[in-house]
Amino acid sequence: MINPVLLIAIPLLFAFLSVMFKKADKGFLILGILFNLISAFFLKETEVIIGGWKPPFGINLVADQYSIFGLIILNIVFAFSVVSSLPSVKKYSTLLLVSLASLNGMLLTGDLFNLFVFLEIASISAYIMSTMTKKYKGTFNYIILGALGSNLYLLGIIFLYSTVGTLNMSDMASKLHLVNNNVLLLSITFIFAGFAVEAKLIPFNGWVKGVYGNANDLNGGIFASAYATAAIMVFGRLFTNVFTLDGTLKTILLAVTVSTFIFGEIAAFSQKNIRSTLAFSSVGQAGLIATLFLTGITGGAMMQVANNAFAKLVMFTIAGAMYVYTGTDNVEKLQGLFKKHKLIGFGFSIAALSLVGLPIFYGFYVKIFALTNLFKINSYWLPAFILFSSLIEGIYYIRMLVKLWNPGEEGKESKDEYTTKLSLENTFAYAVLAVIIGLFIIYISVNPEFITQGISNYLSNIPGGM
Amino acid sequence: MKRVIAVLLVGVLGFFIYSNLYSTGNGNLFPKFGEAKLSERVSNKFIKKSVNGNESEVIYNQTKDAESGSANMVTSIVVNYRSFDTLGEVTVLFVSALGVGLLLSGKSRMKFKTPPNFILRSAVRVIAGIILITGVYIFIHGHLTPGGGFPGGSMIASAVLLFYISDDEFKTKVKAFKFLEGTAGSLYLIFGLLGLSLGGYFLYNFLPTGVVGNLFSAGIVPIIYIFVGLKVGSELSNLISDFLSEEGK
Amino acid sequence: MIQYLFIGLILIGIYGLLTQKNLIKLVVALNVLEVGVNLFIVSTGYVKDGIAPILFKGATSTNNNFVDPLPQALVLTAIVIGVGVTALSLTVVRKIYEKHGTLEMDEIGSESDD
Repeated sequence: MINPVLLIAIPLLFAFLSVMFKKADKGFLILGILFNLISAFFLKETEVIIGGWKPPFGINLVADQYSIFGLIILNIVFAFSVVSSLPSVKKYSTLLLVSLASLNGMLLTGDLFNLFVFLEIASISAYIMSTMTKKYKGTFNYIILGALGSNLYLLGIIFLYSTVGTLNMSDMASKLHLVNNNVLLLSITFIFAGFAVEAKLIPFNGWVKGVYGNANDLNGGIFASAYATAAIMVFGRLFTNVFTLDGTLKTILLAVTVSTFIFGEIAAFSQKNIRSTLAFSSVGQAGLIATLFLTGITGGAMMQVANNAFAKLVMFTIAGAMYVYTGTDNVEKLQGLFKKHKLIGFGFSIAALSLVGLPIFYGFYVKIFALTNLFKINSYWLPAFILFSSLIEGIYYIRMLVKLWNPGEEGKESKDEYTTKLSLENTFAYAVLAVIIGLFIIYISVNPEFITQGISNYLSNIPGGM
Repeated sequence: MKRVIAVLLVGVLGFFIYSNLYSTGNGNLFPKFGEAKLSERVSNKFIKKSVNGNESEVIYNQTKDAESGSANMVTSIVVNYRSFDTLGEVTVLFVSALGVGLLLSGKSRMKFKTPPNFILRSAVRVIAGIILITGVYIFIHGHLTPGGGFPGGSMIASAVLLFYISDDEFKTKVKAFKFLEGTAGSLYLIFGLLGLSLGGYFLYNFLPTGVVGNLFSAGIVPIIYIFVGLKVGSELSNLISDFLSEEGK
Repeated sequence: MIQYLFIGLILIGIYGLLTQKNLIKLVVALNVLEVGVNLFIVSTGYVKDGIAPILFKGATSTNNNFVDPLPQALVLTAIVIGVGVTALSLTVVRKIYEKHGTLEMDEIGSESDD
């Protein structure tokens, strides 16, 4: 039995210690990640309070099946992306520990203001991590939009606090029916807008291309898998458990999320570089998951969170590594890369195909699950949009895979210039990562129950869950 | 053109906020300025110090062992009832100071165009010590008077800034500050973990809270505020020295 | 009503973020927005004729009209977070200036590699 607060306190303690003992910082990083990875698996359903003050007065941490599911995925992908890209860590180990602690805190906390604090820690660490590739303009856009979003979120929760006088999530959920409709509309709009920045929804995703599109092997994996998981899971908790939507507001917010995934997939289609394609694909996935959460298909959304986290971890890490070692990630220049590096290609392709939702892969199972449930609630235009965007997604991913596997016609100029720069010893860690995650995705494609088990346990406890 | 659209957008947003926030109708409305009803808010129990049920009146200099025995209620919220937020807040400052240090890792000190004059130099020698002592006073008395770790820490940093302005050669020992920052942060967490092992709750106030209004009261609150003060002071000083550094020549 | 003023500050900040092209001005606009939000939060805790929430000689926890201390505590946190973000954004501005030699958003141009 592990106290969930340790998942936040131990990495933070190691972060402070690693500033004092500069030489051992990598050791502290590995220790902290290992501790979190192991404890996430041993977490039991529980609720702890901080400082001995019972909620709603004090802050509580909620470890239910939902957050445990998120924590396990989060800590796995974080550990994998750090371990496979250790050479890129350099001076950033303290920062990684802090961001690990804050992401865990975001998923665990049961208090709206505490969520704001953890959100800020996580986004400030993300700002700093995004400067790794020295593309400061993207970072600056991210800071401005992120700060705007968190201020809007803060304003939203303050409106609610001064109306019903509480900050605790479950207490808020029980008092929400007391609030005047107009005040509630305003607060939910602001909270949604604030979260839309981190969850990459339209119109607040202008930063995504500058940050994700310039990621290296380390921060690409962390942003696209760990941060995306935490942000969208918290979004799901807020808009399924705390703020229940209905009427016009629900339609408007659904329009936002639906247009996000259509925009994301179409924008991804027109990109030439691997990382920017993946960046917009992340936007599309975030829109898809948010839509599923808003329509109440929590199970499908959580399964897609897992699918997206593992797939994007492999793809972004490899795309970042391509950029770091070859200096480019343009699909044309890297033609035939996977022919030389088959193991990497194997993991990358499996991940891409599962994300697209090709039959026999895990993603297919998820999409079928989501679509059947959408039909059950008599919604027909949403499945149409989802199928349309899946089609676009399938086209650009398969086009990318074909180019990366096929070196082109004989006699044309050789592309060896770029592919040889990625030598065997450089790619070893990435190949291991690609194979492990690739095999894992195949495993869950055969046994989807492995992931859905925990979800169905959780869903059986909430009313109306599917 | 762009400005017109921006004005329109902001106008619509303003109207949206105004019309919804101050609307009338069913349900709990947003309270107008000055009409906040504390009895309906969680902070009512923070003021009465009765979260754990003890409803008796708290009297300055008399009540012994009140829960979170700090006379300043804001402090009792910041460092006791919602101490976890403060831990996060300290971490925010820590991580942004770290980031500034990573980005601006110059070795030598930036020189000013005009050297500091005599008046500035002698004035700083007189007042810097007073500022330092006031800063320390403020964060030690954070549970009794307005102020606390954050204002106290910023005062210490402002003394460091004055040293920087008044002396062209002055440069803080960044390493020493880093050590102080790490120690204070770790001690905060270790106190939290001590609470977990002694009282069963993370950041539990495990020391006796004493008589409300005494210097030695409120349990771990003043101790935590001293850590916070030292940490904020050293972090802001590091920020200043990072901003005033440049690549070595 | 003084709260309108604070909402006005928030709107000015958003206007600045929408229209300005200079990096420093963008940071300033962000700060205006933050100050507006913080003042608004403090104002939601005000009670008519209320006093600062500190116990003193002769004042007990029940016989006084204290203002709400929780928004003040929240603002303390929000201010510190604002300082952190501002410091970081100014650092990034300085790095942009070192790299591109300009502070205008339009003159920086695209950063992608190919």
